This record gives sequence, C-alpha cells and structure tokens, in this order.
Amino acid sequence: MRRTIATLALLFLAFFNCAKAQDTWPVNGTLEKDLTIYRLANATIHVSPTETAQGALLVQRGRIIGIERGEEQYAAKSRANTVTIDMGDYHLYPSFIDLYSDYGMPEIPKQKRERGPQFTSDKKGPFGWNEAIKPEIRGAELFSHSNGKREALTKAGFGAVMTHQHDGIARGSGTLVALGENDNTSLLIPEAAACYSFQKGSSQQDYPNSLMGAIALLRQTYYDAAWYAEATDRRESNLSLEAWLKLQEAPQFFDTRDRLDVLRADKIGDEFDVQYIFKGNGDEYQRLEAMRQTDGAFVIPLDFPQGYDVSDPYLARMVPLSELMHWELAPKNPAFLASAGIPFAVTADGLKSPDEVIARLRESIRHGLSDTLALHALTLGPAEMIGADDLIGALREGMIANFIVTDGPLFDDDTRIYENWILGEPEILIDREAIDLSGRYAMTFNDKTYDLVVSDEPGKHKAHFEVILQKDGEADTTKVTVKLSQEERQINLQFGPQKDVFDGVFRLSGNVFSDSRIWRGKGENPAGEWLEWAAVKEEDAQEKAKDEKPTPAVASIDSVRIPQPFMAYGRPQLPEQQTVLFTNATLWTCEEEGVIEGGQLLIHEGKVTALGQKVDLEALFGKKLPDMQVWDVEGAHITPGIVDEHSHIAISRGVNEATQTSSAEVSIGTVVDSEDIDIYRQLSGGVTTSQLLHGSANPVGGQSGLIKLRWGMTPDEMLVEDADGFIKFALGENVKQSNWGPDNTERFPQTRMGVEQVFYDLFIRAREYEAEWAAYDEAVENLSRRQRRKGELPPKPRRDLELDALLEVLNSERFVTCHSYRQDEINMLMHVADSMGFTLNTFTHILEGYKLADKLAAHGAGGSSFSDWWAYKFEVKDAIPHNGAILWEQGVVTAFNSDDAEMARRLNQEAAKAVKYGGVPEAEALKFVTLNPAKLLHLDDRIGSLKVGKDADIAVWSDHPLSIYAKARATFVDGRRYYDREEDEQLRDKIREERARLIQKMLDAGEGKDLPKPSEKVPHHYHCDTVTDQIR
Amino acid sequence: MKTLLTLLFTALVLQFSAQPTPAPAQSESILITNVTAHLGTGEMIENAAIGFANGKITFVGKSNAAKAADYDQVVDGEGRHAYPGFIAPNSTLGLQEIGAVRATRDQYEVGTFRPNVRAIIAYNTESEITPTVRTNGVLIGQITPRGGTISGSSGVVHFDAWNWEDAAIRIVDGVHVNWPWMHHRHSEHGKVEFRKRKTYDQQKAEIERFFTEAKAYCAEKPKLTEVKFEAMCGLFSGELNLYVHAHDIKQITEAVHFKREFNIPNMTIVGGADSYLVGDLLRENKVSVMVRRLHSLPRFHEDDMDLTYRLPKMLEDEGVLYCLENSGDMEQMGTRNLPFYAGTAVAYGLTYEQAVKAVTLNTAMILGVANRMGSLEVDKDATFFLSVGDALDMRTNDVTHAFIEGRAIDLDNRQLQLYRKYKAKYESQ
Repeated sequence: MRRTIATLALLFLAFFNCAKAQDTWPVNGTLEKDLTIYRLANATIHVSPTETAQGALLVQRGRIIGIERGEEQYAAKSRANTVTIDMGDYHLYPSFIDLYSDYGMPEIPKQKRERGPQFTSDKKGPFGWNEAIKPEIRGAELFSHSNGKREALTKAGFGAVMTHQHDGIARGSGTLVALGENDNTSLLIPEAAACYSFQKGSSQQDYPNSLMGAIALLRQTYYDAAWYAEATDRRESNLSLEAWLKLQEAPQFFDTRDRLDVLRADKIGDEFDVQYIFKGNGDEYQRLEAMRQTDGAFVIPLDFPQGYDVSDPYLARMVPLSELMHWELAPKNPAFLASAGIPFAVTADGLKSPDEVIARLRESIRHGLSDTLALHALTLGPAEMIGADDLIGALREGMIANFIVTDGPLFDDDTRIYENWILGEPEILIDREAIDLSGRYAMTFNDKTYDLVVSDEPGKHKAHFEVILQKDGEADTTKVTVKLSQEERQINLQFGPQKDVFDGVFRLSGNVFSDSRIWRGKGENPAGEWLEWAAVKEEDAQEKAKDEKPTPAVASIDSVRIPQPFMAYGRPQLPEQQTVLFTNATLWTCEEEGVIEGGQLLIHEGKVTALGQKVDLEALFGKKLPDMQVWDVEGAHITPGIVDEHSHIAISRGVNEATQTSSAEVSIGTVVDSEDIDIYRQLSGGVTTSQLLHGSANPVGGQSGLIKLRWGMTPDEMLVEDADGFIKFALGENVKQSNWGPDNTERFPQTRMGVEQVFYDLFIRAREYEAEWAAYDEAVENLSRRQRRKGELPPKPRRDLELDALLEVLNSERFVTCHSYRQDEINMLMHVADSMGFTLNTFTHILEGYKLADKLAAHGAGGSSFSDWWAYKFEVKDAIPHNGAILWEQGVVTAFNSDDAEMARRLNQEAAKAVKYGGVPEAEALKFVTLNPAKLLHLDDRIGSLKVGKDADIAVWSDHPLSIYAKARATFVDGRRYYDREEDEQLRDKIREERARLIQKMLDAGEGKDLPKPSEKVPHHYHCDTVTDQIR
Repeated sequence: MKTLLTLLFTALVLQFSAQPTPAPAQSESILITNVTAHLGTGEMIENAAIGFANGKITFVGKSNAAKAADYDQVVDGEGRHAYPGFIAPNSTLGLQEIGAVRATRDQYEVGTFRPNVRAIIAYNTESEITPTVRTNGVLIGQITPRGGTISGSSGVVHFDAWNWEDAAIRIVDGVHVNWPWMHHRHSEHGKVEFRKRKTYDQQKAEIERFFTEAKAYCAEKPKLTEVKFEAMCGLFSGELNLYVHAHDIKQITEAVHFKREFNIPNMTIVGGADSYLVGDLLRENKVSVMVRRLHSLPRFHEDDMDLTYRLPKMLEDEGVLYCLENSGDMEQMGTRNLPFYAGTAVAYGLTYEQAVKAVTLNTAMILGVANRMGSLEVDKDATFFLSVGDALDMRTNDVTHAFIEGRAIDLDNRQLQLYRKYKAKYESQ
C-alpha cells in the first residue's frame, strides 16, 4: 500500500499538536485558526457500544463534526479544507475512560507524626476541624498533565480520566480531563464529582482512628453542612463546609475497600438522599444481591489475582480458601455484575500497567461478559455515570474527538490499537502503514546468493542468513545474524565476521522497493571496497504457529454457586427455617418450669411453638401436620442459645474510636463484619446472640451492634430487629490511659476524679442541647403566618450526633453498658446517673461488684462479669471469682460474658464457674449466659429462655450443658440450623476437597510463571483495650 | 476412723490472714481410705486407699488391702477423687503479679542469649495468685523466664513454701530457646500479613554459633569462666532439657534437626501448634511436646474449629510424649484452669486417665522430676489432692484437701477471704 499524503500529514500532526486552541492567549506570530477537517474514511465506526456505522468520521478543532454513513461517503461531498484519510477497514472506537485515577495529581506530601495526641487540624486557614475532611481540595487546581504518566494511559487506549487526589475521607472534587498535552484544553469538567473514602490518608490527626469513626465523621459533616447552609446566626466561616455544599450538586463518588464498605457507604447515602457511585474492589460477586440493592453504579478494578506459588504444602496453608476461590472467580466478576443488571465501568487501578485492561476484559469475556458491555464499561458507561456522555464515551457529532483506531474488533485476541486520537490530535502507537519486511529473500552480493530470513513485525525486525556449510562431509545449516535497521524505506544491514562465511564485517545500505519485494543498494566489504547488492523476496513470512496452550474451558456463571459468606464454612444457600420436634430431651427452660427431663420441644416458623413433657401436635396444627422433622435426641440437653453480653468479634477495622474522651457518635452497628469466622466458631459453642461492644479506651465509647449469629447473612441482616440502642461507657485505667505509655498524658481525664467531671459535663451539655431544640421547636410553632410566609424562621440548632446519643441515654432511649472494675468509680457513676435521672443498665466486667452489690441492686443496674479473670491490671487486684454469686444473691441481674473470641465458644463452661465459685444453683448459673444477658439487652421477651412464642434460638448439647464435656450438637437461630456437628464434618471434607482442587488448578496455571510465595493474613482478635489506627 | 475435717490445716481459723502460712512437716502417718485414685500413670483404682508418712507415699491400692494399723491416723475419704498434684509447666507464676504494673514483671530480662538467668530466684512465694491456683489442684510449677532468643533457665517448685529455696524441686531443669519465626508480621494499609523473614537464616546462624561455642567450652573448659556457656553444659550432658518454644511446622522441624546436629539428649517443643503434623519425626527423635493452652483459636480460618482441642489426642495417637501447658494472656491467674484443659482434652478424644496423665506424670517426666512426683506411687512425694467431684470439670472441681510432701496445705486464698468478708457484710445487713 502506498503511503498517502494524508497519513504523512497525520504523522506530522502527531509531532506538532500543542499550543493551539487557547483563544484567550496572546498570539506570538500569526494566528493559526485550525480549520482543517480530517475525514477518516472507510472505517468501521463504533458510534456507541450498541451502534456501528460504516463510513467516515469528520473531525475538526478537537471535536467530531459529523459522521458520513454508508454510501454517503462516496458522494464525495465537497468540503473546504478537508483532508481525507483512508482508514482501510480499520475500526474506530471511543477512547476509554477511567473514573478512578490520580493522573496529573501532585504527590501527596507525607506528614510527620508528632509525638503525643493531635486533637484538631493542623491545616492553616478558615477550614474545618478535621484534616481528613477536605472538600475544599479541587482536583482541577491540582491537576497538570505534567505530573502524570500520560503515555502509559494513551498507549492503553484511554482518552480521558476522572482524576482526584486519593487522600482523606472527604477528598474534594475529581476533575474530568482528556489526556492531552495542554492543561487548558484537556480540562473537560472541573468539578466532575465529589470524592469520598473511609481512609483518612495523610491526616495525622487522631480522630478518627476507626472505620466507625470515619462513618460518624462523614455523617456529622453532612449535618454540619446542612446547618451551615441554613444558619442565620453562625459566628464562623468554614470554607470546607462551603466547598462541601457546592459539591453536593456533582456526582458523588465513593472509594471503598471491600464489598461490605459498599454497603456501609450506601447506608450513609440513604440517610442523606445521596446515591454514590462506588469504586469497587472486584469482589462484588461475593455479595451480588446486596450490591444490586444499593442501586449504585460501580467502577471496578480488573486486578484479578495471579495466584501463588503453592508448591510448598506447608506455606500453601497460609492461603485461605477464600483467596483460592477468588483467584478462580475474580475474572467472572464483570459477568456477574452484568447478570444482576448492575451498571459498571472499569478502572486500570491495581494493574501494573493500564494496557493490561484489554487483556483482562478479554479474559472476562471468556468468562461470560458480552463484548457490548465490556465496551460500555470502558466508554459510554463511565461517561454516563458522571453525566459526561454528551462529551465523551461515544462518537457523535459535537463530542470530543477522543477515539482509537484498531485493526479489528476490539476484543479479538489479535486486535491491536494503532492510534489514539485525543482532542482531535492523533497519537500514533503503531504505524498503520509501516513496511513489513518479514519473509525469505534471495540476496546477492559478491557474486554469491544467500538466503536471508527476516522475522517479527515492523519496528522489531530481526534478520539472519541461513548458510549451508559442509562439515565432516555433511551439510550443516548455520545461522549468521544480521543487524538490520530500518527507517521508512531506508535500510542498513551489518553482518560478519563469521568463520568460513564472511572474513570480516560487511556494511550495506539500500532502499526497499515494490512494497518490500525488492531491496537494492550499495555497501562496503571488510576490505573497504564498494559492492552492489540486491535482495528479492521469495516468500512472505509464515503465520506464526500458535504454541499457546488451548484456552481451558471456563464454567459459566450460572453454574457457579457462591458461598455466603465467601469463605470456608460458607454455604451456597442459607439454612431453611425448620419445623423440628425434639423428643426425649432434657430441656433447660430458664423459666419457672426449670429443667424438664424426657421432654419435647417444637420449633416452627422460627419460634418456639410448644414444649413440655409431651407436645400435642394435633391441638397445634389440627390434622394437617406441617413438614416436620422429629429428632429423638436421646436424653441430650437443650438450652436457650447462649447470649454474649460483651463481645468484640465480627467488627471491621477498629473496636475503639480511642481518640476523644467521648465518641458517643460512633456505632459498632455500622461496621459489623459478617464474614468473620469467629461467628461460625461461636455458633459451634451454642452462641446465638452477641452484643458487639465498642472498646473501653474512652469514658464514653460508642454505640453497640446487637447481632444474631446468622452466619451467611449481610451485616444489616444480622442486626437484631427493633432492638434497643446501647452505648459503651468505661471507667478506670483504660480511660485515663494509665497503661498507654509516656506519650499519652495530655488527654483529659488522667485520673478517676476527671472521669466523673467528663460525665457531668457531657450530660449537662446534652440537657442544654435538648433545651435548645425545644426552644427552637416552640419558636417554629409560634411563628406568625406572615413570618412563615416570608420564611423568617428562628435560627436552627446544629444537629450533634454525639449529644444526640447522650440525650437518648438521659431520656432512657439508649442504655449504658459500662466497663468498670473498682467500687469507687462504680459508685460515682451511679451518683451521676441518679442525679441526671436515668438508670445505668449494665456494668460490664464489674469485678468489684461484690463490694457494692446492694447499691447496684438499689440503683437497678445489672452486672455482666468475667467468671474468673483478675490480676492483669492494678484495678483488678481485688477481683474474685465469687463475684457473680454475690451479685446474683443480692438480686442483681447477673451475666457472664466473654470479651474474648475463644472463650465465647465455651460460655456454658464459664457459667459452670458460678456453681464452682459461690455455689449458684445450676439452673440459675445457666441463666448467667442465657436469660440474664437477654434481660440486660432488653431482649428477654424474644430470647434467653425456652418459652412458647420466643425465637427458636436454641442449642442442643451432647452432655450436661454446664459440663466441660458438653459439645453443641446443633445451634439454631430463628429456627435455622446454622451449626450442626455432623454437617460441620461434611463441610470440613468439602473444604479439603475444594482446597485440593484449587491448589491443583493453581499449580497447573502457574507452571512456568514466577508467582509470589504465600503469606499469611493474621486475623484481628479484639479485646476492650485494643487500640489501633486502622483507617490510615 | 476420723473424718476428713481433721486433716484441714489449722491456719484456716485465722480468718483474714495474708497469704496462707506454709504447713509444717508431716508428723503423723496417715491413711486415707475410700477414694477413687487417679494414679497419673494412666490407671485408676476405685475404692482405694492412699497411705503416706514422712512426706512420702507408702501405700496405694484397694482400701481393703491397706494395713490401717500401720498408720497414726486413718481417715475416711468419703468417696472423693484423689489426684497427684497437677503440674503447671512453662509458667510465670511468682514472676509477675500484675500484668499492667511494670514493677511486678520479672520474667523478661534484656539481651538475646542469657541462659544463665535463673527464673527460680525471682519466684515470689508470697504471690497472691499462687494460692488461688492451689485451690483448684495445681500444686507444682515450672517457673520459666520469657523473651530473647535464649530466655534463660527454668526451675521446678512446689506451691507451699516460705521461700524459693524451700519451694525448689529442681533449681534448674532446663534452658529455653524461642525459635525464631520464619515469617514476620507485616502491616500495610491496615492489612496484616506474615511475610518470610529475611533475617531468619542470620538468627538461626547465631543460635548455632552460640551452641557450637558453648559445646566447645563445656567439652574442655578454659581457665577463665564464661558465665553464659557455663549454664549450657547440662544440655549437652543430658542433665538439663532444651525447651524450644515453637509453633509452626517449619520451626519444629528445624528444631528437631538442630537437636540431631548438636546431639542434644533432651528436647521438648513448647507450644507446638503444628506438632500433630510431624508426629513421626518427634517420636523417632524422642522429642516431647508441651501442648499450648488448649483453649486457643485455630490459626487458619479453615482449620477444624476444634483443632486445638484435639491436639493432645492426636499426639497420643502418634505416640509422642506430651503434657499440657498454659502460657498466653493472663497466664498466671489462668493457671488455675489447667485442670479444665485436661477436661477439654477428654471431651475431644483422650481417655480420662490419659488426660490426668497429661497434667501429672507426663509433665513430671518432661521436667525430669518423675522420680519424685507426677503419680500416686509408693516412695514418691505425697503431693496430691482430694476433690469432691471430677477435678477436670469446672462444674464439679471442688478441692477439699491438698498435700505437698505430706503436709496438709492451707487451701485458703485472698480471694476466698474477700468473698467471706463481703458475704458476711451482706449477711449482717
């Protein structure tokens, strides 16, 4: 093919494409009006993912000015200034768009951490109080193409990105830019989105140090901004809030860490009527239905795990089953999203290089994603998400001329990207008309003819002679390497010396004619004499035989069953609610009936329906019995499910918002981790309900999450429906930071004296806050019609989530569980509560409770204690294991709790210690871990005993339930059998089989690759005093 | 015949004493009849009698075979269960009183190699924790230093003494090595991982060098004394045990090869979470295991959730010598729960008497004190206790009498005193 004038011009353009189109800039020289129309003819134009046209694309001044379709292109419309480029059946696609980019952003400066606490922002100027909330950061102002690795993106086919600084919880605005080399023309939408995350990034401020803190901070900021917008009497200016308010009109973009984060963000969005676009993590398929219900669009990465070197079976143990499964299924994630109708775009984030995007999408297409949706996810999808589909993402009149040129359908394996036009300027990736020299030639010089072989593609040509030599009477083919260089039609060859062939170095130069059939030129031999040479092509290069392994067959997503949760011991389907009649059972009712031997118990539709010596089925169901299992437990013991009043399992990223004296605004309920193996392990110990408590690092901790151990459900589904709210308080050494080291001596309080004042101050503030709102409500009520009409409203108080929670405590709408050891401080807090007019619900730990059990009983507080812990801190020096017995004897509602992920699965044995230490009767001791904690959690109308009408939360034991020899045979929650010892044995086998299968597959897939060795993930086990910063 | 009440130590009448006063030496010979005797050897005798005089056991057998006339006192055991005193190995009792108070922590010396530090001399007989441990049947402990690569030397004590000299059964029974992890904790972006440790080979080389030099020193001593090496010689002669604290299978196998390389006669793996995977190797190399606290969580998500509970049974089946230990969070006060770890081992596979053996004779054998204790056998120390019910179950564990070297010890403790004090307060109201 002859090189056209137009393509030469194009090459020229590619080197000379800046410094135009800024109308406001002064002209140096003569004004270039940039009027030329480029007409890219004979192309297959992918107007949008679903629309293709044959014809010509017309481009002028960086914009698409039209498409000539079909026959139209031959009409040769006369247009002034038109340069036609024959695209020769190449394809034009919109250039790709990546919404999760930090292209062109300056590096985030690393802050130095000072010793000691940092309570407020270090940022200078009239901004907000928290360094991680910085909506005032404007991506457009930070952006310059010179900061970025532009070429890596354009080479991969990208034409525009939304870029923002990935730093902080409220990160400011993301800006949409084309990948041009001129910042002014590249900037398409300065404030394309408001960007958020749960990571505090470079902020060195203490607050928040937990995920629940980040959630509370975001919520409070929404409220603060609303107040700021309306307040008529505010005394402060706050540019952070002003920027926040302005950004609310833009699309809202949330960067998440995992699928559960998506749900958490979505919940915030629901509260404030905001629909986020989620930056996902490729694990969406693991909770697909929950993802769909967010109604959000997703930007997903394609960084499918590459697997591990699992050749060492010892080390391979460190790869959890969930990772093995994810390795196999990750490429199906896009297909899963598509199947659920969830809109998504893709990002190159997480890939070593953006040009892997196409390969990964091709992989996903093999796994069931359609070509159309794959293209949509790269082009129109992201454009639509941020409302930029009138600018980019398709090839229509008036849109930005961002498109790529390929030699075939984009997702065919051999298709390559030749050009990427950005803002109407071409970037040549591969020269479409490069002269392909590959083939076999007869080359003549020095009166001899040699076989010359040229291989590989233009730009990478390699060449050698094949010379036949006689060796020991036998013909032997020798390869003589030729150094070949090519510039357009000019070529140079250098070869020799080679024993028995060339006695020195030959240097030849010449030209290529007739496509590449004939080469001729001159050169010098080793003696410095000129010679003439010529080569004639005898055959074209053979198509390279593909030596790749045949692509293994992949399972369709319909055949894949996703376990819930996505890990070991997850099940593809939740256990059904069963109707079971237990017969021949020893029933520990924890009610007046006491222990019924040889009894029967019926559970039906999630409730305890009947129990006693004999259940009269006919009276219950008439003649028509439901589908029912009769389980003769042969004298085995059945108890109510164990209730753990004090647990720290199933919590994501931080059990303590340990930074401020009060963090009443945070809630464990917002960070429940439904995928914690400890849930299943505790089911195996008969546990059915747990209060997930905030830690004890500050006097006012955070709100609780009350969950039932519904293994497999989502975090929200695990929360106990309509439960009362609880909040953790704490006293003593932890809150005064006694054991935190010498850097922590500044935070108030540092003594027990100060702790009291913290509570008084907070509760007084809460009461005054209440009064402020009451006055406002009254003033609104009393507005005259005129005032109302004119909108002359009284100043509205600021909603304060922290005081809200404390006010709820004062008004007995939220209940306190207080970490406590010594009698003096317990006494103190009861005085605080009495004087403020509320009752403390529960003292937890309460190891000196036995010293003031009478006072506790008089106040009406319950006690949730350890059975026998002591001697770990000075304040527990007087703890005694008889504490529970004395509390119980004095009429305090007494529970034993775990505060420990291991012990929680043996709470029945801990209850037995109340028998051992202090002689509590066995039936009463069992209540320490069933009915009594249920009372403390205000759930005793639903759980905690075997009683008709209560939830079918029960445990079946192999032995006396207080005995060390007792093992749970089955644990039911809401009538669903979430744990069953026999099923557990089967699950173990299944896990072993599944691991073995995946390891074999990984070994097979990893052959010849250099994969990383496995490394072990260490799970967190939280206690009260676990203080870490987990959201940096 | 007398009642059991007569055997109670008299100090009990002093209601609010400080720590229990050590009991005086056994003056009269005693025969306790009508007990279920769990010998610690794996055997059990119903309707048994136990005779002891001058601190030593003189008779163990069926009640009707005992010669009552030979004893100053004959007491009806009222059907109680008798057990050899339970032994808490790898313990820091008496070394730390209150975890959060630095001044009370004596188990961590500084330095990497310090075999010469001896735990026993820091053993505080006045600790308020120890009496609470005795009350549940734990009467003997191996007091063990912590930290460093070689933490130091442990010693064996009983729990009723005026001072550590009186308490000592063995001043030094072995040297403790913390085998380096081949992986280290790495934290990045909130995710915690174990990564292959670059310094592992270096650390191992340091241990090898230390042992090589110590061995040369012990083989032929120079004129000048090297204190650290002096503490090592018993390891090579077989007089002392080398305790290697290790969990991961790679650590354990490395340690066993180390034993062979240095020809160390006695080695015990302490912890040994993965030991069940290398039973053959341990058995063939005569390496015993102190099984880590049974009430622990499995290491990996997909591990059988009762894996840690089943570890003793698996080692029993592998024919490996093992005992139970209790190190970990709140280990001092938690020592009183040692009997219940044995109970859990019964729930998960051991026979009852095997489980008793795992906290008595097996432990004594590993600590090198089986000649004196660990079982109810004639000529051994009369260190044992009586419980009304099954002592391995918290529901029934009710220790009424305990003897150390024949001395009826005071089972009172500060917690009981506080209990009585406040119970009385409420009763008087």
